[in-house]
Amino acid sequence: MLTVSVISPEAVLFEGTTESVVAPAFDGEVGILTGHAPMMTLLGQGELRLGPGAGQRFRIRGGFLQVVDDQVRVVTEHAAKL
Amino acid sequence: MAKGRELKGRIKSVENTRKITRTMEMVATSKMKRAQDRVVAARPYATALTDVISSLYSSDLAERFPLLRQPATPRRVALVVLTSNRGLAGGFNANLIKEARARIAELERTGVQVDVHVIGKKGLGYFKYVGRALASQRTDITDRPTAENAAEIVDQLMNDFVAGQIDGVYVTYSKFNSVLSTPPTTDRVLPVTPPEAKAGAGGQRDYLLFPDAEAILTELLPSYVRNSVYRALVETVAGEQSARRTAMKNATDNAGDILNVLRRTYNRARQAQITQEIAEIVGGAAALQG
Repeated sequence: MLTVSVISPEAVLFEGTTESVVAPAFDGEVGILTGHAPMMTLLGQGELRLGPGAGQRFRIRGGFLQVVDDQVRVVTEHAAKL
Repeated sequence: MAKGRELKGRIKSVENTRKITRTMEMVATSKMKRAQDRVVAARPYATALTDVISSLYSSDLAERFPLLRQPATPRRVALVVLTSNRGLAGGFNANLIKEARARIAELERTGVQVDVHVIGKKGLGYFKYVGRALASQRTDITDRPTAENAAEIVDQLMNDFVAGQIDGVYVTYSKFNSVLSTPPTTDRVLPVTPPEAKAGAGGQRDYLLFPDAEAILTELLPSYVRNSVYRALVETVAGEQSARRTAMKNATDNAGDILNVLRRTYNRARQAQITQEIAEIVGGAAALQG
């Protein structure tokens, strides 16, 4: 399982575990499953989906995503829950 | 009993004032709690941003980022002064203005031109009163400042800084250490002081970077600047509410003290009058019998 947190300047929008993360990186969507190599990527604009069947969805713009040891941090200036 | 009626009027008026200050105290308490929550909620973002910037930043990259440019001799800087829109908060605004004045004087002594940007009616009132020209002013920041508010305030300044028109940006705000400690503080937000990498925090991980460290920093440094302003806004609101709460609590307590004195004086006057009336009646009866 991945431990995910979605963080905006105003608040932490989501914190919990999920099986997968699909995020809109600056150059296209990026998918993350357990055991991913440590990575940092800039984000673009689009929809962030957590878990199979898109259990949680957010519309985000800008910021970055960091993966290390199955911990995923999505840090973005604009985020809204869908 | 002219004096008694006068006292009764004053008692009534102090009671009404106390009712108002007590209500304001309660309102400020609840607003302060919410403002405090927002200060706490803003921390994870700042921590995450600081972590990443400090892990990517290295001093040899410094020259490549305009936001890190350290001007040798600053000629012109911008000072953003955050104050509140409403008064009745004790010395809150006065303290902020005092801090801003000290900073302006200090900078101007070294021959730097200072552009003053004022947020909040109270600061605006003061600078208008002393007749200082303001670079910009706004009074539409509410009790719930947003990240957009921060961006509106600082984006133009960031552009000016990158273009070399100004050599620094400072923010005077009320730092929220705790409910009892909200000292007025001035922080430099530009040029950015890169956060120090924490020693022993797992060291540098070998991240896959997309696109690369430079591009990520280019994107994140402005976010970092905006976030420092956002935090200043949120902390100032929390400071304002806690200052108002303290001021109103003191006012309520003082009103209670005054009421005690007034009530005692009133009762004494009433008693004295009754005693006098009895004495007169007894005296009159004695005269009749005599």
